[in-house]
Amino acid sequence: MLCTSMTQQVEQMSSVLRNEDLKEMLESNKESLKLEAMKRIVGLIAKGKSASELFPAVVKNVASKNIELKKLVYVYLVRYAEKQQDLALLSISTFQRALKDPNQFIRASALRVLSSIRVPIIVPIMMLAIKEAAADLSPYVRKTSAHAIQKLYSLDPDQKEQLIEVIEKLLKDKSTLVAGSVVMAFEEVCPDRIDLIHKNYRKLCNLLVDVEEWGQVVIISMLTRYARTQFTSPWTENKAFYDSDSEEKKDQTEAKPYIMDPDHRLLLRNTKPLLQSRNTAVVMAVAQLYWHLAPKHEVSIVTKSLVRLLRSHREVQYIVLQNIATMSIQRKGMFEPFIKSFYVRSTDATHIKTLKLEILTNLANEANISTILREFQTYVKSQDKAFAAATIQAIGRCATNISEVTDTCLNGLVLLLSNRDETVVAESIVVIKKLLQTQPTQHGDIIKHMAKLFDNVTVPMARASILWLMGEYCEKVPKIAPDVLRKMAKTFTAEEDIVKLQTVNLAAKLYLTNSKQTKLLTQYILNLGKYDQNYDIRDRTRFIRQLIVPNEKSGALSKYARRILLAPKPAPGLESAFKDRDRYQLGTLSHSLNLKATGYQELPDWPAVAPDQSVRNVEIVEPCPCVCTESGSESEEESSEDSEKTSSDSGKSSSGSEKSSSESESDQKKKKKTKKAPQKKSKPAGDRYTEIPHCLFPQNDSKKPTFRTSGISLFYMSFQVTTSSFGPLKTYELLHHMTGKGLSAKYHFPRQPCLYQPSMVAVQVILTNSSDHALEEIHIGDQSPASLNIHCFNTIERLEPGASVTVSMGIDFSDSTQAANFQLCTKEDQFSVSIQPAVGELLMASTMTEQDFCKEQGKLQGMNEASATITMATANASRQAINKQVLSVANVGEVPSSQNNFSRFAGQTVSSRALVLVSLELSESSGALLTINTEKSVMASMLLQDLKQALAQA
Amino acid sequence: MISQVFILSSKGDHLIYKDFRGGAGNDIVSIFYEKVTALTGDQPPVVMNHKDIYFVHIRQGGLYWVATTTAGSSPFTITEFLNRLAALVKDYCGSLSEKSVQMNFALIYELLDEIVDYGYIQTTSSDVLKNFIQTEAVTSRPFSLFDLSNVGLFGAETQQSKVAPSSAATRPIQSSREQGGKSEIFVDVIERMTVVIGSNGLLMKADVEGEIRVKCYMPSCSEMRIGLNEEFSIGKSQLRGYGAAVRVDECSFHQAVRLDEFDSHRILRLCPSQGEQTVMQYQLSDDLPSALPFRLFPTIERDNGGRLLMYMKLRCDLPPKSAAINVCATIPVPKGSVSLSQELSSPDQSAELKPQSRAVVWKIARFAGGTQLSALFKLEVPSLSSASMLEVGPVGLSFELPKITATGLQIRFLRLSPIQPGPSQRWVRYVTHSDSYTIRI
Repeated sequence: MLCTSMTQQVEQMSSVLRNEDLKEMLESNKESLKLEAMKRIVGLIAKGKSASELFPAVVKNVASKNIELKKLVYVYLVRYAEKQQDLALLSISTFQRALKDPNQFIRASALRVLSSIRVPIIVPIMMLAIKEAAADLSPYVRKTSAHAIQKLYSLDPDQKEQLIEVIEKLLKDKSTLVAGSVVMAFEEVCPDRIDLIHKNYRKLCNLLVDVEEWGQVVIISMLTRYARTQFTSPWTENKAFYDSDSEEKKDQTEAKPYIMDPDHRLLLRNTKPLLQSRNTAVVMAVAQLYWHLAPKHEVSIVTKSLVRLLRSHREVQYIVLQNIATMSIQRKGMFEPFIKSFYVRSTDATHIKTLKLEILTNLANEANISTILREFQTYVKSQDKAFAAATIQAIGRCATNISEVTDTCLNGLVLLLSNRDETVVAESIVVIKKLLQTQPTQHGDIIKHMAKLFDNVTVPMARASILWLMGEYCEKVPKIAPDVLRKMAKTFTAEEDIVKLQTVNLAAKLYLTNSKQTKLLTQYILNLGKYDQNYDIRDRTRFIRQLIVPNEKSGALSKYARRILLAPKPAPGLESAFKDRDRYQLGTLSHSLNLKATGYQELPDWPAVAPDQSVRNVEIVEPCPCVCTESGSESEEESSEDSEKTSSDSGKSSSGSEKSSSESESDQKKKKKTKKAPQKKSKPAGDRYTEIPHCLFPQNDSKKPTFRTSGISLFYMSFQVTTSSFGPLKTYELLHHMTGKGLSAKYHFPRQPCLYQPSMVAVQVILTNSSDHALEEIHIGDQSPASLNIHCFNTIERLEPGASVTVSMGIDFSDSTQAANFQLCTKEDQFSVSIQPAVGELLMASTMTEQDFCKEQGKLQGMNEASATITMATANASRQAINKQVLSVANVGEVPSSQNNFSRFAGQTVSSRALVLVSLELSESSGALLTINTEKSVMASMLLQDLKQALAQA
Repeated sequence: MISQVFILSSKGDHLIYKDFRGGAGNDIVSIFYEKVTALTGDQPPVVMNHKDIYFVHIRQGGLYWVATTTAGSSPFTITEFLNRLAALVKDYCGSLSEKSVQMNFALIYELLDEIVDYGYIQTTSSDVLKNFIQTEAVTSRPFSLFDLSNVGLFGAETQQSKVAPSSAATRPIQSSREQGGKSEIFVDVIERMTVVIGSNGLLMKADVEGEIRVKCYMPSCSEMRIGLNEEFSIGKSQLRGYGAAVRVDECSFHQAVRLDEFDSHRILRLCPSQGEQTVMQYQLSDDLPSALPFRLFPTIERDNGGRLLMYMKLRCDLPPKSAAINVCATIPVPKGSVSLSQELSSPDQSAELKPQSRAVVWKIARFAGGTQLSALFKLEVPSLSSASMLEVGPVGLSFELPKITATGLQIRFLRLSPIQPGPSQRWVRYVTHSDSYTIRI
């Protein structure tokens, strides 16, 4: 006793001593000593030992210049701040300062550590920091702020409302870096606020491919849940259709053909490429999404990817196999072509082997059963006895499921009875028992054979099974059964309980069928059972005695004893252990454990009627991109159709197959229209315009047409891009009617975000037919340079003489003023034309505050600045005049300015979203200093020239 | 969402413990270890639970890598995360062992800190991480004569410098900056064979899974081009011409690989990030281009004295200049086999009876191509019956074939651009392992 307390003391002493020495090192002036000390302290933490008493010494180093040291201090601080709150507060000001640092990584790391310090007093500071960071220019900082949300939420749940506001704001963020993190926050803080997702749904779908992999997993699982609440089930039930004889019912089913919501399709289409991901979690997330959301015939696309996962680490293999096992029960066809991948390898671990066995059994059918059984035969020989036993079970299941092979299996199993391994024999007996029950006829031989084996079998379950068989079919083996009972009477006391119970049963059954031979034996056994130690056996014995042995007390029941004991019994079904696992969502923890994990969220069922779809529409107010032809409503219909198509195509990849699928969708829609299906509710919003007369558009300005754009990332940073900037339209000639043989074309830049792709500049072309005959099939032919990405307008079938049509195109100039050359073709001719953009048209206007402007300008100094002193024309003295001139040259937005002699404009390049800042400082005389700040120095100098010219001229 | 991460040695010692969300009991590690050790079998299930705590674990490098989690996250995410973590630790520490983890706890702690924030995985990309990681790895490289052997007499380079020791690729990626920028690149072509040969000698199943793995120590490598055999083809349809086409069924690439020259010239272009990555994975089933490496001709009979005689003839069908190493055949024998007497055809083989696994293990250290070895095993089995004869087999074979790929895939060239300043070394290694090579008897 004394000794142990002594050693404890010594230990304590030594730890105090050691910590003293660490403290000294921390307080020294040498960086290297401090670093060494911090490393040792972190070592203590890593091993789970306490180092909290060093807090004061450590926290002093939080402002250290050495980053390596600083990071170790952060680690320490996060670990112990909760325990030493007052001291931790000393460090807060350091972080607050770092939050203002120009370096984004320092801002982010300060926020990360600050939000990890679990001290309730600083909740307001944290809240403020998160809000500020959520509006930071750097997406990396915004991402960190998204991560900080759930930390603050767990520290103080009362902040929920405010935090949801931040989440809402960040959900609108267009950066791929932020998307994953904010959805993580959403899932933890407010998973039930599904209304926040609506407006961002299409954007998330389109961004998904570019989000980093861990974010993808979270987004996919959130979208799975979302889709289950917002769309109707794609699993059409054809049965009703075929079964119904009455005309009425038929009509009903026909009247409601299932049409997949385009947003539902969008999700499926955009997740499909992720099946190629290197990250197994992403692949599985997509697989479960398809399993739970896709129409039945499309689910099989995921098969190959899942099978590919089997080549991964064995831990991954294990969970994939679990999921495949569940899937293969419901959908055999999915995995049948890959049956060879599930053959067991000698090097597999036991639990992987049993899972593979499970899958093979599920996949067995008449066609492949012979191969599978051959495979099973070799497995039975395996050294791994647990596996061999599982194989025998599997053979049993195959035999019951496929009646053709029942006899073969049974024979094979009987052969196994002569195996020298006890577990194999025992398992075979149990399985044979089950099989015989399903097919009791003419199996007397097998039962006899088993009776012979009885002496050698020691496994209780197997012995019990044989006894049960004897009893059940005692009439088929009238001579043997009593003999077995005799043997059992001898060894009764030494048997296991389960065997004893079956012995009592056997005795009772024999007494009823063959009382002459077995009466005495039965009584002997019942007497033994009466005094058994186990109360179950005593109860059973008493019950049986009352039931079978007639005496005056036993009333009516004993008359029915025979019917009770020897009633034909239903055969047990041999079912898969994975049968009921499909109640859990695939790929979840609960599925893996087959147990409802705490906090498991059940996947909601499909709604019967889809909620309003228009909630997902993102409305962008913009002037009508007019398609003016004589033929009124028809073209209108086309344009809405059109914009829808392009919007769903505007995702990153638009390969041929995808296009065709969206085309088929719009085909479907057309069909629906002609059918005039009665349900208006499920009509996509785009269709509704068809019902509004065409002439409404121009007059009613407040009701500008809205176009569905599915989350095109129009905006990159937090600046709003204004589309309604002042713009006197300059029209340029594209094709003169003399050279164009009657076809003339003019173009202008409408200065709107391009509908087709965010990196494209929108161009409107007005085609006029000034010849005397109709022109047919006007379209765009070859383009050069080939790398130029042009979104062509749809072919114009026919243009009457004198008519004109406006079409819009999108051209990706990649922020350079090189001309886009292409051919404008009619049915007969081809004309080479080119569009040369002015540098100012490669921009789009953005709004920002003066403060932001100055901040950004500060970052774009040196190489990124171009300036010139210019002489202003006298007419351009007023602010309005300056604005007019600048805006006529470049598509930039005015920044409200507090100083009178300053004019500021901001914009960003269309392709690469680089900021372009224009500032004009008027001096006393008519001179002015024009400055342009942008990363694109070539653009800067060109823009400078253009502006100089515009401002100098009257 | 991850609550805690810890790394345990195989004996249950705590190496690293990090709590991300707080509020967990201290005994969680011991609970896990008890659960793991209480279970029998070769591997406990990946996912386990104790009340409301869910453990997901993997085993790598002889260590347990464990994460505890709440119900919200998928077990795939966690296993994938743990695998990535292990790979990153290996990259940063050089190798994966109890010792290297112990020596580098500060580094691993920093890594964990950057990878996971409050239980949420932030990033596992080594390109991103290298901006943040400050701690240098500590390695213990025992003094080895092998290093000296590369230097010849009076410092002259010897022939041996054309071969790098196999341990050359096990050093931390970050140490390269202090070692004067010794920039090296290692490319491994690794294939694993799964073969089942029926008792009649016919090939029943053959599968090859292969991968090209690049381990890069270049601090600034802008682009690397790996040229494969020109006659390399994917799928059955596009066989190119006649003759020795190298064919695989399926092929997948790392995200960073650009394939614009792949269709025409079979060149993979990539900008490798530091550390190890699998550039390409491929597989081939059933249709092997070359003969199987091994054939076994067994004869099994009973002699008059009630002994079991197994006469095994093993032939190696590799090309004569190459050889297989570490060949080991496991022959299951009947239950109750008591003793073994053996006659082996050459002295560099050995064989022994392993009663607990009931198998005869026959080891051959080196097996030259085109040769044949034979062995006669006499087993004393009391109560030998005809049924017990059935218990012999199937024979499992494990081996390693250096400098050979089963598919015939070769690397034609390996170019770096721009040309690296200073000495840069590029190493290529080919190896084929047996995954499961079973011969039924």
